Amino acid sequence: MSAAERPLEMAQGPAEMKPSKVAIDWRGRLLDRAPFLVACLMLALIIGIYGSLQSGVFTLDELNLDTAAAMTLMLAATGQTIVLVRGGIDLSIGGMISLGTVIAATRFTDDPSTTALWALIILALGFVIGALNGLLISLLKLQPFLVTLATWSILNGVAMIILPTDGGSIPGWWVGFASAQLFGVTSPVWMLLVLVLFWWWFRATSIGTTIQATGSNEKSAFLSGVSITRVNLVTYGLSGLFAAGAALFLVTQTGAGSPTIGKDYILPSVAAAVIGGVSLFGGRGHLAGTLIGAFVLTLIGNLVFVLHVSSYWQPVASGVILLLSVLASSVAEKAARNRVQ
Amino acid sequence: MDLVSVKGLSKRYGGIVALSEATFSARGGEVHALLGENGAGKSTFIQILSGAVRHDGGSILVDGQDYRPANPDAAQARGIAAVFQELSLIPDLSVEQNIWFRHEPRTWLGTVNRGEMRRKTLALLERYDFPALRPDQELRRLTLAERQIVEIAKGLAKDPRILILDEATSALPAREAEWLLKLTRQLAAEGRLVIFISHRMAEVRAIADRLTIFRNGATVAAHEANAVSDNEIVTQMIGRHLDRLYPERVATATDRIALRVKGFSSGSRLSGVDFALREGEVLGVGGLQGHGQRELFQALFGATRASGAIELWGKPTSIGNPRQALTGRDGIALVPEDRRGQGLLLTKSVRENLTLSVIKRFTENGLLSRQKEAALVKAMVDFLRIKAGTPEQLAGTLSGGNQQKVIFGKMLLTEARVLLLYDPTRGVDVGTKGEIFQLMRDLAAKGYAILFHSSDMPELVHVADRVMVMRNGRIAATLEGALISEEGILGAAMLETRAA
Repeated sequence: MSAAERPLEMAQGPAEMKPSKVAIDWRGRLLDRAPFLVACLMLALIIGIYGSLQSGVFTLDELNLDTAAAMTLMLAATGQTIVLVRGGIDLSIGGMISLGTVIAATRFTDDPSTTALWALIILALGFVIGALNGLLISLLKLQPFLVTLATWSILNGVAMIILPTDGGSIPGWWVGFASAQLFGVTSPVWMLLVLVLFWWWFRATSIGTTIQATGSNEKSAFLSGVSITRVNLVTYGLSGLFAAGAALFLVTQTGAGSPTIGKDYILPSVAAAVIGGVSLFGGRGHLAGTLIGAFVLTLIGNLVFVLHVSSYWQPVASGVILLLSVLASSVAEKAARNRVQ
Repeated sequence: MDLVSVKGLSKRYGGIVALSEATFSARGGEVHALLGENGAGKSTFIQILSGAVRHDGGSILVDGQDYRPANPDAAQARGIAAVFQELSLIPDLSVEQNIWFRHEPRTWLGTVNRGEMRRKTLALLERYDFPALRPDQELRRLTLAERQIVEIAKGLAKDPRILILDEATSALPAREAEWLLKLTRQLAAEGRLVIFISHRMAEVRAIADRLTIFRNGATVAAHEANAVSDNEIVTQMIGRHLDRLYPERVATATDRIALRVKGFSSGSRLSGVDFALREGEVLGVGGLQGHGQRELFQALFGATRASGAIELWGKPTSIGNPRQALTGRDGIALVPEDRRGQGLLLTKSVRENLTLSVIKRFTENGLLSRQKEAALVKAMVDFLRIKAGTPEQLAGTLSGGNQQKVIFGKMLLTEARVLLLYDPTRGVDVGTKGEIFQLMRDLAAKGYAILFHSSDMPELVHVADRVMVMRNGRIAATLEGALISEEGILGAAMLETRAA
């Protein structure tokens, strides 16, 4: 019998196809954004409590102050968010931040061109060291956790060698950057705006989509032609770059270098992202959530202060909030999964 | 001139030869079916063509030019796209983002031009009369069948000259499968080459112009589709095995039912499986890979959840987890698929591996009796002829065959008399294979009831008393006596009409 004469026989498939034009799945979209919405709710709640206990919370001054307080964490967490969306983690940012501050504290001078040169060197160093992390992870097929733990330790040691104790000096004009104003708004708030714009642009670019796709499903991405090595190189390179940026901002707040200060940003950078709905398993999450998470973590400090309780309550409160947001996203995730089946 | 011409293609993975002597040639404008048993080398072949893996030897010519893609991108640049069975889609991107992934239309800022992407998506879906899809929906919200359709759209978005469809119809409902066959013909009419892999003979018959048959990593035959019969194809797929590997099959089954399973279902992978396994019987489970065999074994062992009823030795039972499955003489024991990962602790000794899960048996008043343990271990090592220097030798240092014997020993020490053997001879040398088959028959003679899956069909044919053939999560047929043959199993697994 030839092919044409033979009737088509086919097994019954597992499921009937869904109809095409259905209304927009609002509930599904809401569930997708649930962790982010929970973070917004938390921030609103904290601001509400803070505002009721303290006068002058809803002013531009307060915004300027709080953004400056949060900006180092925000910069570090931006890099961390890129890495988390890739499905990895970067502990080495702690070492990079320390190293950045001690280089700045020992090399920055009153001469702007020397200082600018060293600032660029610090940023470049951040990218190169980060890219090296990515390269090691890819070529040696090692866990990001272990590789970046090791580089964290190495960078920390180098920072100690350069400047064994807190100190050095940062020129006043560099410190002044953080309080420079434009239209009554200080530079950290403008930086926040730039971060938001950066993410809006970055996520729609080829490399941004590729990083997200690789975090979502590495094998699929590979089969689609993605070079995993290149993705890792750029991802961790950017993380190092943002960590270096965080160091350059941090010295405007401390006015000195510290070989140990970076470790204070490692886990909070992850926490800020997780509170903001970024998945630790990769592929999902946005910087907007991370920035809100960073605000939440920073404002908890303020809240503890105005409540006149021991400052040791701050990490306790941070931990509870972290647990709550993880719980919220897992509940939403389950609900979303049940809807699909 | 041939669009693709492959000669002497070979590929090894470590010590395993996946492809040794593959030849293949096909022209533009034809639908070319690729046939072969599981493990015949089809997957490796198309992975090489699509740039996912690199070949070790042999030559590929595309358009008369040497072809050796370094990665899937390079393959696409030469006009070759694959629709993989293991889908290449990204769960967290939308349908249209997936279709155009890495080829999105862009604006001057380097960002995705969403309007243009939507327009191109709709044009593509329209041109090939795609079943309804919502371009903006996130992929992880789609059913398996819908994902398969997106994968096809993604392949076509690259406007390939050669499109590889790897079992693309297997996940589709009837109507969509029919659409795909029509689409395949349309693509061939446009002058493209479609390389089509399917285990459904009817589909191959309906659309293929030519077909190439693979066996054991080599090409055995290529035919014009209308010049060859179904039986010839099946015979060529199986080939001839000459073996003195198998023990004599003596019927030892009694009338007593050891394990009865009714209406066993689990997700989409198992639906309504019914069977009865008798005392003294070796019941084979066969069929093409991925039709529910793994899920059946896992569910019976309590490793995954399933609905339906189970009776063990006449008593209704429910198995919620492996610990429940293991208990006592009325229990179930499993030889798992992944010997190194699930079955054995490689850094522990033979003794520890044997006795770890039955430590209660030689514990008296909370104290371990070393003599009792040693006696049991010695008995088991002797019985199974485990070739280890001492019982303290580390399991990881044994040969594959001896490791498998340790797992058998571990299973036998649980005293369970219903045994689930999932591919127990995989990666085991021929000599030990023979010993394992003999052991299975000996255990059956002692009244054990054995459920036996093998990815190697001749094993089922020569060792099992009966063979259940699974297809799409169901028992498609149960073969007995003279009906147990490779032709019978493959027939029931592939040819819809011959299913009992």
